[in-house]
Amino acid sequence: MSDLAIEARQLVKKFPARPGSGDKAKVGEPVQSPRKRRWQFWKKKAQAMFTAVDGVDLQIRRGEIFGLLGPNGAGKSTTIRMLCTLLEPTSGTATVNGFDVVSQANEVRRSLGTVLAGERSIYWKLTGRENLEYFAALYHIPANITKRRVDELIERMEIKDRANELVEKYSTGMRQRIAIAKALLARPPILLLDEPTLGLDPQAARNLRSLIAQLKQEGHTILLTTHYMEEADQLSDRIGIIDTGKVIALDTPEGLKRRIDQKEIIRLELTGWHDDLNDKLKGIEGVEALTTHQQNEADLWEVNMHAQNSRATLPRIVEAISGNGTRLVNMNIVKPSLEDVFIHLTGKALRD
Amino acid sequence: MQASLFNTSPGKARITSELRSLWAIVRREWIIFTRYPSWIIALFIWPLIFPMMYIFTARALSGPDGSGLDVFIQNTGANEFIGYIIVGTTVWMWQNIVLWDVGFSLRNEQMRGTLESNWLSPAWRFSHLLGPTGPQIVSMGMFIGITALEFGLLFGVRLNGSVWMIVLMMLAAIPAIYGLGFAFASLVITIKEASAFVYLVRGLVMIFCGITFPISLLPEWMQEVAKWLPQTYLIHGMRAAAFSNAGLPELIPDVIPLLLFGAFWLAVGYSTFLWMERRARQTGAIGQY
Ligand SMILES: Nc1ncnc2c1ncn2[C@@H]1O[C@H](COP(=O)(O)OP(=O)(O)OP(=O)(O)O)[C@@H](O)[C@H]1O
Ligand SMILES: [Mg+2]
Repeated sequence: MSDLAIEARQLVKKFPARPGSGDKAKVGEPVQSPRKRRWQFWKKKAQAMFTAVDGVDLQIRRGEIFGLLGPNGAGKSTTIRMLCTLLEPTSGTATVNGFDVVSQANEVRRSLGTVLAGERSIYWKLTGRENLEYFAALYHIPANITKRRVDELIERMEIKDRANELVEKYSTGMRQRIAIAKALLARPPILLLDEPTLGLDPQAARNLRSLIAQLKQEGHTILLTTHYMEEADQLSDRIGIIDTGKVIALDTPEGLKRRIDQKEIIRLELTGWHDDLNDKLKGIEGVEALTTHQQNEADLWEVNMHAQNSRATLPRIVEAISGNGTRLVNMNIVKPSLEDVFIHLTGKALRD
Repeated sequence: MQASLFNTSPGKARITSELRSLWAIVRREWIIFTRYPSWIIALFIWPLIFPMMYIFTARALSGPDGSGLDVFIQNTGANEFIGYIIVGTTVWMWQNIVLWDVGFSLRNEQMRGTLESNWLSPAWRFSHLLGPTGPQIVSMGMFIGITALEFGLLFGVRLNGSVWMIVLMMLAAIPAIYGLGFAFASLVITIKEASAFVYLVRGLVMIFCGITFPISLLPEWMQEVAKWLPQTYLIHGMRAAAFSNAGLPELIPDVIPLLLFGAFWLAVGYSTFLWMERRARQTGAIGQY
């Protein structure tokens, strides 16, 4: 058997562009004129298409945790949905556990435990136990094994004393654990987790991350998506950074960070920011990848930039921001994080 | 590593496990149905309210001495005008409720997010539509039973026929009524606007199938249309079975077309489902809400 748990070759997914969704049809795609539409009403319409996943190649080894990292709308969930057979690729191929996602969809489904849409993926009007028993039957687990396995998972997910309560009374973290337990029912070798910690409080998120690490120890291959840098960094053996449907970098977390090792990150906190400063700062030699965002407090701005040599550029930066009501509140030179790798690659921040 | 803990041997093991999946879906629906019994009130009120509108209209139109009712009885051949009306309105409500319940069973799951997790499992996907139908039929049986009870107690309507013949008519109608529900359930997943279809169907049934009047009163062309609606035969047969003491031989002319329509609508329902499943794989409709 191949030592790849998941392999994707040039996966592409196009959707009919949803009107008003802001999805832009790419140039060169057929966009029909109103006049044409009238005459083609009864014929097959040429529809404007939107490319959500644009030629993704992945090779995920057995036993590794692979993190797919990207901003909102990057195509992470769409990629997962193609791998778990919910969506058919527009072009390209993928295999999961050696099975083709299109022609051997049923075998793929048996090889996978998938958590999509987290807490919404289970029945809130059933108890935790009823949910697991129900899904066990859907996964064709024999009746005599079901009870034991459900008990095991309830124990493991630490919901034993609340297993017979309705899911609607659970916390988000508990619901997420039921969703994961459901994915583990059939003991699949491969797990796909789409934003597993979304909406969890920090404590619950930490617990879940340690659970994911444990699952890897037990031999599961795990593909997870996230838009939290720290999460990807902490959990993943390798990370693919995905943006506008393309994998723009793929490496170990260390490898990715090494790419901008020579760089330094200058982080300023300012009050009295105005937009002219943007151009002024960008004009300074050696400054790149400038990003700004407003802090929660009213007039406090965080400004990040990458610099080859902070000693040389710092005085010029300070000079540029002085005056005009702008005040420097804080300044740091920090080690590059994955977030900075992302900014370096795409020119934009991961979270707006 | 082991590929999976199942062997994909077709045949008996496979069928047994698919039946267990189907049963789990039926059970799930039943548990939720009984756990949130807010429908109980509706179950007692609707069977009464909707036909009453027609019954009082009929009384009003029949004149102060009720002489108009004799004309009605002559026209319909029914000696029980209230029973006549409640059969029609009950069939109409049955189809209407099926369109909402079965018709939106997948759509509701799609909106809740559970449709996708069901779709992820290796179970036969049509079970997800078939399963909720079981509890629906049971609740519909309760609905019809309560209708009979309420009108028996409050309006003194008396059955003149065999309960078994009524049950036979209902069984014969199930494939057609639910087949239409399956087709509809599949349509609303991919074409959200399809819900307008409910209003069309129930409007058609209301006007063409003679829920409160005999078909023969309709203009010629409308009678032609009525022949193509299974509800027409169900209403006709049910009235005969409940109030004219009709036996099997008299009911056969209604049962045969009902079964033919049933085969047709089940086939339409199943193919629409397959079409929806294929199309949803292209558009991602299963996960949208
Ligand atoms: N079924 C669909 N039909 C049309 N467009 C879709 C569909 N599913 C996703 N899209 C679009 O494809 C793009 C990628 O979506 P996707 O859900 O894969 O992003 P994502 O990386 O998971 O983002 P997020 O962090 O928001 O979950 C988005 O612009 C989205 O609007
Ligand atoms: Mg997503």
